Amino acid sequence: MTSAELIGKLRQAFGPQIQGVAERVPGKVRVTVEPSAIVPVSKFVYRDLGARFLITAGVDSRAERGCFDVDHIFSLDKDKIFLILRCSVPAGAAAVNAITPDVPAANWAERELRDMLGVTPEGHPDPRRLVLSDDWPEGLYPLRKDVKYGDWPPVSEEPAVDATYPFKQAPPGTSTVVVGPFFPVLEEPAQLRLFVDGERVVDCDYRGFHNHRGIEKMGDSELTYNEIPFIAERICGICGFIHSTCYCEAAEEAMGVKAPPRARYIRSLMLEVERVHSHLLWLGIAGHILGFDTVLMQAWRIREPIMWLCEKITGNRKTYGMNIIGGVRRDVPKEIHPEILGVVARIEQESVAVLKAIQGDTTLKMRLSGVGLLPKEKAQEFAVVGPTARGSDWDIDARVDHPYSAYDELPPKVITQPEGDNWARVVVRILETLESIRWIREGLRQMPEGPVRAKIEEEPPAGQWGVFTVEAPRGEAIHYVLTGGNNRPARWRVRAPTYQNLQALPYMIQDETIADVPITLGSMDPCFSCTERVEIVDAQSGKAHVLTQQDLLRRSREATERLRRG
Amino acid sequence: MIISKLREAIICFRAGRVTLPYPFAPHDPEQGFRGRVMVDAEKCVGCGGCAEVCPPRCIEVIDPEPDRRLLRFYLERCTYCARCQEVCPEKAISMTQEYETATNDRNDLHMEVEIFMSTCRRCGRCYEPPTPLDRLMVTGMRPPAGEAEAT
Amino acid sequence: MAAGIVSTVVTLVVLIGLAPLAEGLLRKLKAIVHSRKGPPILQPYLDIAKLLVKEDLAPTRNWVWRIAPSLALGSTMVVALLTPIGSAPAFGFAGDVIVFIYFTSLAAVAIILGAFASGNPYAYVGGSREMMMMLSVEPVMTIALVVGAIKAHSLTFGGIMGSGATSGPSISMAVAGVAFLLALQAQVGKLPFDIPEAEQEIMEGPFIERSGPGFALFRWAMHARLLIFSAVLISVFAPWPHVGNWALSMVLTLAKMGVVLALVGVADVVNPRLRIDQSMAYYARIIVFIAVVALAFAIIGA
Repeated sequence: MTSAELIGKLRQAFGPQIQGVAERVPGKVRVTVEPSAIVPVSKFVYRDLGARFLITAGVDSRAERGCFDVDHIFSLDKDKIFLILRCSVPAGAAAVNAITPDVPAANWAERELRDMLGVTPEGHPDPRRLVLSDDWPEGLYPLRKDVKYGDWPPVSEEPAVDATYPFKQAPPGTSTVVVGPFFPVLEEPAQLRLFVDGERVVDCDYRGFHNHRGIEKMGDSELTYNEIPFIAERICGICGFIHSTCYCEAAEEAMGVKAPPRARYIRSLMLEVERVHSHLLWLGIAGHILGFDTVLMQAWRIREPIMWLCEKITGNRKTYGMNIIGGVRRDVPKEIHPEILGVVARIEQESVAVLKAIQGDTTLKMRLSGVGLLPKEKAQEFAVVGPTARGSDWDIDARVDHPYSAYDELPPKVITQPEGDNWARVVVRILETLESIRWIREGLRQMPEGPVRAKIEEEPPAGQWGVFTVEAPRGEAIHYVLTGGNNRPARWRVRAPTYQNLQALPYMIQDETIADVPITLGSMDPCFSCTERVEIVDAQSGKAHVLTQQDLLRRSREATERLRRG
Repeated sequence: MIISKLREAIICFRAGRVTLPYPFAPHDPEQGFRGRVMVDAEKCVGCGGCAEVCPPRCIEVIDPEPDRRLLRFYLERCTYCARCQEVCPEKAISMTQEYETATNDRNDLHMEVEIFMSTCRRCGRCYEPPTPLDRLMVTGMRPPAGEAEAT
Repeated sequence: MAAGIVSTVVTLVVLIGLAPLAEGLLRKLKAIVHSRKGPPILQPYLDIAKLLVKEDLAPTRNWVWRIAPSLALGSTMVVALLTPIGSAPAFGFAGDVIVFIYFTSLAAVAIILGAFASGNPYAYVGGSREMMMMLSVEPVMTIALVVGAIKAHSLTFGGIMGSGATSGPSISMAVAGVAFLLALQAQVGKLPFDIPEAEQEIMEGPFIERSGPGFALFRWAMHARLLIFSAVLISVFAPWPHVGNWALSMVLTLAKMGVVLALVGVADVVNPRLRIDQSMAYYARIIVFIAVVALAFAIIGA
């Protein structure tokens, strides 16, 4: 189906309710519909056209047009089309019909819309807070333009101690094991309430976003176009480069700038290098979660040369700082190619040895096989991405479905496994590492000569939009950029892959034992820092033997004040 | 299963011991490593381009008198991105190889460059923005957060 | 009398005093397999010393909470005195195999009691796991030692070892020895059976609320179990060659214990952690079966 056919089908089904169609770049279509039609159109797109839900972006356009824009972004993978369904709700009646009952994957996206922008999804099955903390006052929506970046919610004398999160109740006959808010396995902030019967998990409830950092708000209000790649890189502690690449590509698309071919190859090269290092890191973490520290140490030893290589190419082990709008900042000259080839050859050799060694390891298989099952239909219902989806036999991969950078000229092989359990995901990642190494070799050979930065002659126009996905090691990340005036974007929406994958966690750990919860969560390769993009600095100063909750709250606020002033 | 354990053991033993002796022995980073910022005050002309492009806004431009400009660096916020090095027209600011910058005293990370300016202070032509995206939003002054004004 | 005092002191020095050193050697072995330098072999002593001077925070005023660490280390010290290292145990006159098993179980029970007294849900999970491990592994050890007792027609370690010296190797003792060796890994809490204190899953399980001195005593008791059980394994099931001299016999046993410790260390480093149900299936079905086979052989006289 081409985008023209898609538009034709939509017009045929919903003619009068479609208010406008825009296609800036072939394959990226934005259709504006009436608010009353958003649910039927979304349902049609999801059920009948087989689209995959990506994310919802809410935009505060009250200054320009007196309304809030709600953009639901879908992807038709096999046709390589992005479809944005936009509806505008008036500022006075900030509510939209929830599409979650028909499109289950939109669950978190619509809750975040309500938390951050104040547009209520009516009919949402789970209208609890997702992002904002329990004692955040009602009516203060951070992503609205009238809330300044440096604003703090008003501090009352009496902190609201009875503001507690309405967790699900434990089903009868089960007890509650609270894992978190400092999650022991991954050492990240997340709270998972397990309702267990003995050692078997019956149900669970998840509460995250403890370390929300305000990155989207920063992008909207503080930073200029060329400063955002650097904060984008710091969204994640492992896969930073994909975020900066995705942003740069989305912004370049919005501005009508094309990065030169050599820059696109360099971007893909560094993306594949990042994939190698991330998968090896994950392999170590998976081993550590199982108590198999030998795998941890050896996988990280194998990975270390690639970190040194990145330091040589880019100037830093992890935050490469290579991306800028228009291309990349540093070239990868011919002199360094033999070294790159040497390092990846060595890694390939060792990874193959590790794969051969663990394939016969029965104790390892006992822990991983048959655990954390996610069948393909459920994977599609939750719209999971990345190796989590590919381990369940669903062959989606942003590098092939929506080719970008150099992948249109040199597509990688999509690797799937049919079982859908933790072991399948391990195998997918190791094979992807080997495939990335193959790509690096081919890419280095095919890299064209030329400049690495495009010449940008004019100021970027305001009011343009660009949407882009990049295949991170964990799955697909999507950035949506709306250009604004004054050298900065009007809206920058980021969705990291773990955001979507975490929504499938309750299903995956049902009927597993407590012992298997960490490794199931780990097999999704969760990156909580990617998922949460707001940070509130919290510091405990002193310690008394008996402190009431009041005291703790007061102390923590005092400490934060001190940090803010100092 | 024994074979797989043996294979794993072989991988381990073939590697030997890989622990580096750092911090008991120095470890130099690669060439081109983006370490701590250093300013050559002789070369700096006080254009403020570095302050403009710094993403964490750790460079502050202050003009206490008409002929004196202060560039204050709050390097505890530095993200080592090297944008300042990239845009400096005089190659006065550069990234060193120094990475051991942790300290208990914030003042160790503060630098100040004082420059005597003559007549040229407002035109911005000494700083050529590489692209329109890097233009000086306001020449001479660094705008407070969120309130940039075009020239 | 003097000999009794000397053997008591030496036993305590070797089994309790050198226990952290054994643990340190195992950590060094683990580090070598991990391709890293690892901590110095005296590190466990430094850890215990550091822990002993820390503040002892208590989540509850429960007296069970307070006595659990001392109960664990105390019963482990009694067990050490009942353990044969090449010759009859120092306190052999005071107790036999039954008392030995009783006091080892008491040490495990101390861990469980301490866990349940803490009130932490992770400790509950860890305590219940420790109970399940105990229920599946203790029978194996007991049956193996009873096999020795049947062969020797005596319940004292001295008697069992003496009978082993005179009658030589036998099928039932060999099979029982294998069962005991397989049970050893779980008794000393090493991978793949360190399930009760799974750090990654339940944050140290029974010891999560422990800090400072309480934790130090528990750790020391766990290290001592390593030496104690390997000493029993070697002395009862692999006592050859026999030497008359008490000191030489001890040195020889220690050398053989080194081999057992190396095996424990290697198994520790090449395995992930099993789940509790998998471990119980392994012990309560397979290994107990092996032990019962040994018992059958012993009863028919083989």
